[in-house]
Amino acid sequence: MIAVFKRELISYFKSPVGYVVLAFFFFISGFMFVNQFSSGSINMASEIINLRSFFVIIVPVMTMGLFADDRKRGTDVLYYTSPVGLLNVVLGKFLAAFFLQFILFINVFVHMILTAACKGVIDSGTWGTVIVYFFLAALFISIGIFASSITDSQIVAAIVTFVGILLIQLISVFSTMVSKLFAAILMSSLFRMESEKAGVICSRIESAIRWFDPFSKTNDFSYGIFKVSSLLYCLSFAAFFIFLTYRKLEKKRWAKG
Amino acid sequence: MIEIRDLVKVYGDKTAVDGISFTVNKGEVLGFLGPNGAGKSTTMNIITGYLSSTSGSVKVNGHDILEEPAEAKKCIGYLPEIPPLYPDMTVLEYLKFICDLKGVAKEGRKEMLASILAMVRITDVAERLIANLSKGYKQRVGIAQALIGNPEILILDEPTVGLDPNQIIEIRKMIKHLAKDRTIILSSHILSEVQAVCDRVVIINNGKLVAIDTINDLSNKINGTSKLIMCFKGPAEDVIRNLTNVAGVDSVELVASEDDIHKIEINSENDDDGIDIRTRLFNSMAMAGWPVLEFRSKELSLEEIFLKLTGEK
Repeated sequence: MIAVFKRELISYFKSPVGYVVLAFFFFISGFMFVNQFSSGSINMASEIINLRSFFVIIVPVMTMGLFADDRKRGTDVLYYTSPVGLLNVVLGKFLAAFFLQFILFINVFVHMILTAACKGVIDSGTWGTVIVYFFLAALFISIGIFASSITDSQIVAAIVTFVGILLIQLISVFSTMVSKLFAAILMSSLFRMESEKAGVICSRIESAIRWFDPFSKTNDFSYGIFKVSSLLYCLSFAAFFIFLTYRKLEKKRWAKG
Repeated sequence: MIEIRDLVKVYGDKTAVDGISFTVNKGEVLGFLGPNGAGKSTTMNIITGYLSSTSGSVKVNGHDILEEPAEAKKCIGYLPEIPPLYPDMTVLEYLKFICDLKGVAKEGRKEMLASILAMVRITDVAERLIANLSKGYKQRVGIAQALIGNPEILILDEPTVGLDPNQIIEIRKMIKHLAKDRTIILSSHILSEVQAVCDRVVIINNGKLVAIDTINDLSNKINGTSKLIMCFKGPAEDVIRNLTNVAGVDSVELVASEDDIHKIEINSENDDDGIDIRTRLFNSMAMAGWPVLEFRSKELSLEEIFLKLTGEK
């Protein structure tokens, strides 16, 4: 596991990928911070929350090559034929991508230090958003790793990851859309349901879909309210995709075509 | 050492490996001969645990590759057809990574790496990026990779393919050197290569086992009758008549002619009286004063070998 972790982390900085991601993240976060700084009021929590919307760009770039590249180069043979288990390989690659997120976040930590030095607010809410940031990162990276394991084209892997993350970011929008659609159908001449009853059903549907939304689940963290259950949700989501990746790789041995 | 029993691998409706069984004994060099697409690589991939068989079993040193994969894989060093190299690493970084991956103990690692680098002669490129190495060097790094952890068994899938003649000779020398204290399985689609380095040969075609034999027995079977090619300057008809009368010659055929230079194919029986038929042919030509421009034995193609071994016509 450690061997794979080390190799992948180093390889980020042997190719342009690591530097591009780093430059992009530093620029965006720096831009946000300077903007707030010059306006006179700094809210680190909001900077971190805004940065989350760039997962959709950063994560696909980070994870697209993790397995796709190995398959293309034929280096996956090493993992199948050496005594390390495939699960260790998946975890090693996952941790490498996760650790890169830490490296990116150094800039935000610098901002936090600056804020504290200028007597700005760094409270439990700020730390809450930091924690949420990394749990969400784990969740999205697991999607990216899975996408990378299903194809040997980096581009396809990146697109699949991009779409996956986008869908998750839009869950709350979807939930509203779907519930409105249901309301319209239920109240139409087809079902002739009373609007109150339809409203109850639709709100149930909406909350059921929204249950899956990791963003609304972890909203309270920015107010300093830490809910372990939301973190467990992110973790189990990530574990599920890591397991899927492992199964996917294992299945390749049994390929029939 | 390696025990393969009734191995079958089915891809969709194609049976790539069809009921192959053989054993490899400790310390021997086994050649795995067959044309492209015969199922050599698939069999090797199954032995090393990269693929799983549809049915049948592989035991390495008594460990089943599916039931005790970690133990079995520790005994094997594998060089696939395309060496599994990371172009963004230097040779040394790469080999250290392989050490980590195979769980080689930290103590004595430096000495082991140094001896492997020396053995495959890549010490001078150890600090260079793999991406910048020539094909021959890449192949050697691939062999070095297989040697890490000092496995008892080496499995090399077409180790000389795509190399220039000098490199091929070097790699063959290296394999012979490695064979001193290891068991080696080597695949190839070139008979002469297998003859040059192996003790025993397994021949497969279309996923099926055609023959298992020692090199000597195989050579005898194949060379029961042999073909010679001769190019000469002189009257074609006279020469053919003359050569047909030489003892041991079966038949002589004219293959090609250009002006008064002719090419003939000579079929001969095996020399029973111990005198090389080539001596007689040469003497006969020399006596008549016809200059021989080229004289060589014709290599049998794999197809012809299969036909001979299976006794089909």
